[in-house]
Amino acid sequence: MRKMFTMIAATLLATATIASAQQVELLGAGATFPAPLVTSMADEYRDVTDGRVTVNYQSIGSGGGIRQFTEQTVMFGMSEAFLNDDQLAAIAEAGGGIAFNLPITLGDVVVTYNLPGVETGLVFDGDTIAEIFLGNITTWADPQIAALNPDVRLPPLPITVVHRSDGSGTTNVFTNYLTKVSPAWNERVGFATSVNWPTGIGGNGNEGVAGVVQNTPGAIGYNSAVYAVLNDIAYGYVVNKSGNVIEPSLEATSLAADVPLPADTRILVTDTEAPEGYPIAGFAWMLMYENLDANNAISTRTEAEELLKFIVWAITDGQDLAEPLAFSRIPAAVLQLNFDMIRQMKWQGEDLGAQVLAAAGY
Amino acid sequence: MAVTAPAAPGTLGRLATVTPENLRRRYRRDRLMIGLLVVATTVVLVPLLIIVWYVVSNGISAVLTADFYTQDLGSPARALQGRPTGLGHTILGTMVVDGLALLIAVPIGVGAGIMLSEYPDHPLNPVLRILNDTLNGMPAILKGLLAFSLIVKPMGTFSGFSGAVALAFVMLPILARATEGVLRIIPWSIREAGLALGLPRWRVVLNTVLPAARVGVVTGILIAFARAAGEAAPLLFTSFGNNFFSSTPLRYLMGPVDTLPARLYSLAISPYKEWHAMGWGAGVILLVLVIVTFVGTRIVTRARHTTDL
Repeated sequence: MRKMFTMIAATLLATATIASAQQVELLGAGATFPAPLVTSMADEYRDVTDGRVTVNYQSIGSGGGIRQFTEQTVMFGMSEAFLNDDQLAAIAEAGGGIAFNLPITLGDVVVTYNLPGVETGLVFDGDTIAEIFLGNITTWADPQIAALNPDVRLPPLPITVVHRSDGSGTTNVFTNYLTKVSPAWNERVGFATSVNWPTGIGGNGNEGVAGVVQNTPGAIGYNSAVYAVLNDIAYGYVVNKSGNVIEPSLEATSLAADVPLPADTRILVTDTEAPEGYPIAGFAWMLMYENLDANNAISTRTEAEELLKFIVWAITDGQDLAEPLAFSRIPAAVLQLNFDMIRQMKWQGEDLGAQVLAAAGY
Repeated sequence: MAVTAPAAPGTLGRLATVTPENLRRRYRRDRLMIGLLVVATTVVLVPLLIIVWYVVSNGISAVLTADFYTQDLGSPARALQGRPTGLGHTILGTMVVDGLALLIAVPIGVGAGIMLSEYPDHPLNPVLRILNDTLNGMPAILKGLLAFSLIVKPMGTFSGFSGAVALAFVMLPILARATEGVLRIIPWSIREAGLALGLPRWRVVLNTVLPAARVGVVTGILIAFARAAGEAAPLLFTSFGNNFFSSTPLRYLMGPVDTLPARLYSLAISPYKEWHAMGWGAGVILLVLVIVTFVGTRIVTRARHTTDL
């Protein structure tokens, strides 16, 4: 019996080795927001490589992405919140070296609302949004909202605040913006993937918040812009730091990142200095180990090489897929930072990242 | 009462007029009770029919296309742009994971049931019974976490195999309980007959008790299968999910694979109407899978049973 098992195992292993020489499957997981873009990239990349390389990306949320990346069960993670210093230290301690955050696209968060008779385009500023989510402004007829929207007839409805009940990168970006524009918010709530909300009701996921907003006249919430557009939910324009009213758009979101960036790209670009930038925007990062061999999920040099090739493709040619899908391209400066980080990635000490970049002509 | 009262002229006549009235009342009460039973049965069946009707009416348009069975899912852009997309890889993955889970769970679960029923004095049995009940009451997501730390972490990858083990944890206690229950019903005289022929005890169990209880054991297996087939929680961090067909058959066991319950959930919470329709389609397939298994196995066991006799 035991001999039979050994024989079966050996045969299976042999098949696996032969198969893996031809076909490569890459596995990543994390943030929900960039999932449509990454899976479209996977579709396209399979065609580009004549079906040789399949990229399997599962959207399990930013928190899950960081978790599985640290647990080394996925080859790359994806998150709308960058790895903090504690997480980086833990990864370095486990032998992974530096963990890199590679921006792959930008996301913007829009303020969604349900006001009978009021279309998309209600104007908000940072202080007004903070006061509403703090529970200090409780009716749509409030003079502070009216002052920003002199031409809109606001119904005297009470405001119902809706927020995410789960840990979310969207919440991280949104609360980070409020922390920057409102001292009161900074003091009472702060920012994180989930926070202690002073008021309002929770919805699970983008769809949960959207559902409550759509069914509750007078409700206000926040969603990924893509989500609001796809589901025909009205959303507001926001006054940015330079005092310009910004309509959420792909261009305005890309512009938000047009600011001086640190080499490791670990920055939240909310409340941007850029005069035409949309203020509630942030990167979605791909998470990678410096020492690719230290990640348990990557077992061969071939897998590591194919993974690097895919990432280089995703931040260059793959970016052409972004705008038709309502995602923002990464700015040129970010691309260069990504190249610098990829150049440092190694397989058992070999500078595989630099080799792959050179082979691709960058 | 009237019947025991001393017979008097005219008594018989009085009885004759009273009894039909009494009988009518009994008939009325009988009809009322039957009526109540019919109402109760309907109340039970109506939600089931509503579920089946609702799922089928929403999902029928998705499952009537050939692409649904031959294509993999890919990105939402495929569905939005009308390019071919489907759940072929999900249906295949579900069969692999559920089938392997059955292969793992049936010998162990039925074995535990035999142990509990046929060797009631064995010192391990009280512990086994407690463990079995605990496993039965444990939330399914914990079984997934267990498979995650036992298999996914050491292997360094999510896999269909780990998903099958997690589902096997779901099936085990149901199998053990059901098997114990049906073996208990088999009269002891049958065992005694076998023992009197000089058969060892294990032969008696395998050759006389188990065949006699076959229909019951198979029903237990079906219930365990149906219960596990609908579970999404144990699969979230084991078989994990995949948007594509795996590149080799082995990758269905050793790599992440898609399963219907988990995919149904992710399709349902997606922002795309096209994916919602496919989610309903996944629901239809799941229903059909469970119903076909039930009906099919019922027919097979019944046919065998009658020819054997």
